[in-house]
Amino acid sequence: MKLIEAWRLSRIPYREVVYQSLAEEKGRMWWGAFGRSTPGKEGQDDLELAKRALRIAKFDKIFVTIFSVLVSLVPFGALLLGATGFGLASSVSLSLAVTFGLVTLYAIQTLSSFVGAKPSALLSVLPIGMDDLSVVTLFSFVRSVDYIVVGSVISQVIVVGYLTGSVFAALLMLVASVINGVFAVSIALWFSKVFQKNILRGGRSKANSAMRMFFILMWGLLLVGVGFLFSIPWYIVPAVENALVGAGAGLNMLMGLLYPFSTGVVVAEVVHFNIAFAMVVLASVSLAAYVLLAVYAGRWSLGTVKSITQDSGLKITRVETTDFSIKTRRPLLAYILKDLKTASKNPGTAFFFAMPVLQTLIITLFVARYVVLRVSLLLTSSLMGGVFALFLPLALLTVEGKGLEYTKTLPISSGRIMISKAIVSAGAYAFVPVVLAVLTLIKPLTDFSAIFIPFFTMIAVFNASIFEMALFFRTAARSRIASIVNDVGKLIVGLLTIFVPQIVYAASFLFSLSYVLSLALMGGTVLIELSLVTLILSRS
Amino acid sequence: MQRESGSASEPLIETSKLTKQFGSVIALSELDLRVMPGEIYGLLGPNGAGKTTTIKTVLGLLEPTSGWIKVAGFDPAKRPLEVKSRIGYVAENPVVYDSLSPRDFLAFVASIRKIDSKASAEMVSRLAEAFDMGKYFDSPIATLSLGMKQKVALIASLIHRPPVLLLDEPLNGLDAKSSRIVKDMVSFHAEKGGAVLFSTHIMEVAQQVCTRIGIIYHGKLIAEGTLDQLRSEVHREGSTLEEVFLKLTHEESEVVDTSRTLREAFFRNETN
Repeated sequence: MKLIEAWRLSRIPYREVVYQSLAEEKGRMWWGAFGRSTPGKEGQDDLELAKRALRIAKFDKIFVTIFSVLVSLVPFGALLLGATGFGLASSVSLSLAVTFGLVTLYAIQTLSSFVGAKPSALLSVLPIGMDDLSVVTLFSFVRSVDYIVVGSVISQVIVVGYLTGSVFAALLMLVASVINGVFAVSIALWFSKVFQKNILRGGRSKANSAMRMFFILMWGLLLVGVGFLFSIPWYIVPAVENALVGAGAGLNMLMGLLYPFSTGVVVAEVVHFNIAFAMVVLASVSLAAYVLLAVYAGRWSLGTVKSITQDSGLKITRVETTDFSIKTRRPLLAYILKDLKTASKNPGTAFFFAMPVLQTLIITLFVARYVVLRVSLLLTSSLMGGVFALFLPLALLTVEGKGLEYTKTLPISSGRIMISKAIVSAGAYAFVPVVLAVLTLIKPLTDFSAIFIPFFTMIAVFNASIFEMALFFRTAARSRIASIVNDVGKLIVGLLTIFVPQIVYAASFLFSLSYVLSLALMGGTVLIELSLVTLILSRS
Repeated sequence: MQRESGSASEPLIETSKLTKQFGSVIALSELDLRVMPGEIYGLLGPNGAGKTTTIKTVLGLLEPTSGWIKVAGFDPAKRPLEVKSRIGYVAENPVVYDSLSPRDFLAFVASIRKIDSKASAEMVSRLAEAFDMGKYFDSPIATLSLGMKQKVALIASLIHRPPVLLLDEPLNGLDAKSSRIVKDMVSFHAEKGGAVLFSTHIMEVAQQVCTRIGIIYHGKLIAEGTLDQLRSEVHREGSTLEEVFLKLTHEESEVVDTSRTLREAFFRNETN
C-alpha cells in the first residue's frame, strides 16, 4: 500500500477513535436529557453527532496547538526582547522541556483511546495486509497529535533560525524538535499502555489501586513541571543558563549529558562558542545518542501500535471467585466512591486526582515565601486553590460517560448527583484551609479572623461546583457534546462564585478597616450563594 | 418483592393514548397498554416499531408528547423516583459503567436503591452463580462479552426485587443456558405477582415466555391478546406467532417478494 493511501485510509480509524474518546464524555450528552428529554432532541442522529465530535476535536486540537506554540516560545521571550543574562542554551532546553510535557499530556488523553479501543477493527475485516494495517493505525495515531507536534517543531525552528541567523542551528533545532516529539509520543503511548493494562487486570488487589495512584501522581508531577516551566521561566532560565555555561564542574557536566539540556548546549554552541569545550563534546555525543534513542522509541511505538492493531497488545487477566458478596453504602457516599473509582481508571481524568497535591504544593510554596501571613495573602492563596478545584466538577461529569444512561434509570435525582460531585470538589479543596491553618501556627497572622477566609472559600467552591453543573445541564441539552470552549463559560461562572465573596471582603475592608465586619460580609455573600444553590437543588 | 398499595386487580403498568413525537416523526401513537400483576406482556414489533420508545417512556426517560402513564399507580413524569424505585430495567444494549467490575457496579446499584448488603446478598449470589460469573465478577465490565454484560444488567434489574420489570430484548447475546435461566426468572417473577413488559422481535421467545402479546407497528398497537386470540384474529388456527405477526403487519407478501428477489440475485450466475 502506498503511504499516501495509508494516510488517507488512516482517517477512518482516527475518526473512530476521536468519536470514541468523545463518547467517553458522552455522558455529557445524556445529561442534557437527565430524567426527561426535550422532544425533538433525541432525533439528532449519530452521524450528525460524529461530525460534530470531529469538528470539536479539530477545534480543540487547534486550540491546544496555539497554546503549545505560545508556550514553546515563552522561554525565548526574554531573548527576543533583547534582555541580557538569558541564554540560548537554556531557552532551547526549556522550550523543548515544556513542549515535551505538553505533547505528552495531550497525547496521553488521546492515545488512551487508541490503546483501549480497537481503532482498526473496522478495517481489519477487509482484505488489507497486517503490515499495511499497522501503518494505517500508526498514521491514525499520528493524526491525533500532528498539529501540536508540527506546530511546536515549526515555531522552535523558526525562532532559533531568527535568533541565531544560522541555518545549521535551525537544522539542529529541527532534529531536536522532531526527536522531542517522538519521545513525547512514545512516553505517552507507554504510559497509556501501562495504565490500561492496570485497568484491565482482574481481581480485588489493592496493589492495582496503589499502582494506579502512583501513575496519577507521576502525571500530576508532569503537570506541575510544565506549569512551573511555563509560569516562571524568568527565574528558571538564568539559573539553568548559569549552570550550563558555568565552570565545568561535575554537576554541570552531568547536565550536559541530560536531555534536553544537551540539545540546548549544542544548538547554542553553534553560534556563541562560550561553553566549555568538554561540555560541548559531551553534549554532542549525548545528542547523537538521543537521536539513536528516538529511532528506537519510534520503532517501539510502531511495534506497540502493530500489537494493538493485531489485538495482542493488552492481555486481560481474570481471577476466579466464589464470593459474590457486595458491600452497600449510603447513596451519596456510594455515588462519591463510584465517581472516584471511575475517574481514577480513566486516563483522561485520572490526573485530576493529582490536583489536591498540586494545589497544596503550589500554595505552600507561594505562602512560605512571606514572613507574615497578611489577609491579602490568604485571599489570594484561597482563590488560587479554588481555581484548581473548579475543574473537578466538569471532570467528574466527564467520567460518568455512557454509564449515566444507566444511572438515569435509578431512583436518584440529578440534584443528589450534583451534591456528590460538589462534595468531592470541595473535599479536594479542603487541603488548602488545612495547609493555611498549619502555616498560621508557624507564621504570624495579621488578624486571627482571617483564618476563616479559606473555610468560607471552601463553601464557595461547593457553590461554584453546583453552579457549573447546573449550567452544564442547561447547555448540554442544547449542544449534547463537549468541547473546551463549551466549558469556559461554566468555569468563568465558577470563578466568579469564588471571586465575588473575596471582592466583598476586600471592598468592605477598604471602607470599614474592620476585619471582622469584612469577614461577616464575606460569609453573608457565601450564604446568599448557598441559598441560590439550595434553590437550584430543590428544583432538580 | 416490594408490595404496592393498589390491589392485584389494578394494572402495574398502564398507558392511555400515549403519544411520542420526535420532531415530525411519530414514534408512538395513542398507545393504550395495561399490564396486570402476574402478567408477562410481550411487546412485539419490527425494528423501529416503537418498542424501545414505549419502554423508555414508561420508565420516564422520555417525556410523552401527549397521553399519560401510570406505573404502580405513579406518573413517571411527576414522581420519577417512585417509579424508578419500582422498576427493574434491562436495556437493549446494556450500558453500565465500563471501568467498574460487576461487584462494584452491583454494590453501587444496591446502594442507590438503598438496599443493605444482607438483603441483596442472596439474590446476587444465586444469580451470579447461575450465570457462571465466577471468573468475571471482579473484572472490569469493559472486558466482558455482550452476553456477560447483559447478565450484569439482569442481576442489577432484580437486586431490589421490583414489582415491575421492563426488559428490552433481554436475551441479546445470551447463550442457551442463560437464556433459559432468564426465561425461568421472568416466569418466577410473574408467579410472585410481578408484571413484566418484555420487548422482543424473536417470535419463539414471545411464544414461549409471554402470557399476552401486543403487536406494535409504526408506533401503533395493532393487535393484542394471547397467542390463540391473535390466531383467531387473523383466522389462522394452529399457525405460529411468526405467521400471525407477518399477517397482522401486512408483511407476508412483502417477505415472499423479497425472498424471490434475493433468490434471483443469489442464483443469477447459475441461471445465465
